[in-house]
Amino acid sequence: MQALDSETASTIDLQAPAVPTADTRGKHRILAELKRLEQETRFLEEELEELEKTDKVSAACEELLTNIETRPDPLLPVTNGPTNPSWDRWFEGPQDSKGCRCWIL
Amino acid sequence: MSVAELKKRHIAATATVNALREQLKQKRILLLDTDVAGYARSQGRTPVSFGPTDLVCCRTLQGHTGKVYSLDWTSEKNRIVSASQDGRLIVWNSLTSQKTHAIKLPCAWVMTCAFSPNGQSVACGGLDSICSIFNLNSPNDKDGNLTVSRMLSGHKGYVSSCQYVPDEDTHLITSSGDQTCILWDVTTAQRLSVFGGEFPSGHTADVLSVSINGSNSKMFVSGSCDATARLWDTRIASRAVRTFHGHEGDVSTVKFFPDGYRFGTGSDDGTCRLFDMRTGHQLQVYHQQHDGEVPLVTSIAFSISGRLLFVGYSNGDCYVWDTLMAKVVLNLGSLQNSHEGRITCLGLSADGSALCTGSWDRNLKIWAFGGHRKVI
Repeated sequence: MQALDSETASTIDLQAPAVPTADTRGKHRILAELKRLEQETRFLEEELEELEKTDKVSAACEELLTNIETRPDPLLPVTNGPTNPSWDRWFEGPQDSKGCRCWIL
Repeated sequence: MSVAELKKRHIAATATVNALREQLKQKRILLLDTDVAGYARSQGRTPVSFGPTDLVCCRTLQGHTGKVYSLDWTSEKNRIVSASQDGRLIVWNSLTSQKTHAIKLPCAWVMTCAFSPNGQSVACGGLDSICSIFNLNSPNDKDGNLTVSRMLSGHKGYVSSCQYVPDEDTHLITSSGDQTCILWDVTTAQRLSVFGGEFPSGHTADVLSVSINGSNSKMFVSGSCDATARLWDTRIASRAVRTFHGHEGDVSTVKFFPDGYRFGTGSDDGTCRLFDMRTGHQLQVYHQQHDGEVPLVTSIAFSISGRLLFVGYSNGDCYVWDTLMAKVVLNLGSLQNSHEGRITCLGLSADGSALCTGSWDRNLKIWAFGGHRKVI
């Protein structure tokens, strides 16, 4: 089981600005950042609500297992059918594995 | 409202966002009752077991005179396009190893290439910030070069990755160092939608990779230097559907899982991860302990069932992971006839019968299953 890693940085500097006398950012810029933060709040609240109705990871794992095991796979030593003879075309006929060696100049 | 008042509100809003993020994180931890490997073990599954000569290199495609950076298969069986530091695209018949086209690019600094669904065009992009389209059936110019049939300009940074929308020869998605992805109409060279940029839910650093869902081509995922992957709906450019956290470094590569409900990521943090598209859950981490420096993940691809995850690393290894058991079952980098340098790109043929790898050693190699296959 893997613990989720810590949140990574986002677009917005989430360090609250110190109350400086030297901060010369304009009103417009702060307003724009505020708007982005408010939108992000709405998105995060939506995601939290969705998560309330979300199944645990084990449910997704069950589906994954079924999806993997029912599909024929030419690269597996043990696989479901049906197989296809063309899967083995790589080993048929003259196999000059060096093939065309002309150098593009 | 005064600047001082606005700053107060900014501080409060910042605290709200931080608190919500922490809540989300804790909620996800509570739902993480297992991972894929834990679940598979509980169901009695055992790792895939390869014999020493099961997966073999059956073709070496030689011709590039520089590092290979990108490759893409056609949707019918056997052709591959590759892009190289030598400033060329080569189109190969991988079965015969013959080159059918060698395209000298107007800008040599190419990073990505892709085949159109009908196999008649190839797209490429790189440091020129343009995605160029070549029609393979066009006549050559007087110098014997194929001319560009369309130039998709609009990105303000390098084009890192491009992919045609499955079954749509006229639509293509690019990712860029300008932090956005763009959906293009190839016929008119117009930008149909820009994903990210000025919107808050876009990436906040270079986007390095895109992958379009093969089962639902309205959905695509992007990976970025901001250490996240983001899921997009092409009908809604204004916000990402979901942001996937977890990696601790650039997400250099993303690839949808064959069933269309999950996707894999690879990162500079040396790990790959499997995420569930609908719930946002991180289902599994694919990580092997290393002594010393951790190699970066450069490229990933799933086998057609999804049971195998092929991962190229910066140290030349190419691990074959058992996706279910989270175990490395083979290292193509240690097999006979393997590449002599970093593997930069990987891709499965349309029928899943072959893997193509591209490398700094200037070659491409085709790998297929040559052992005895047991059918159940």
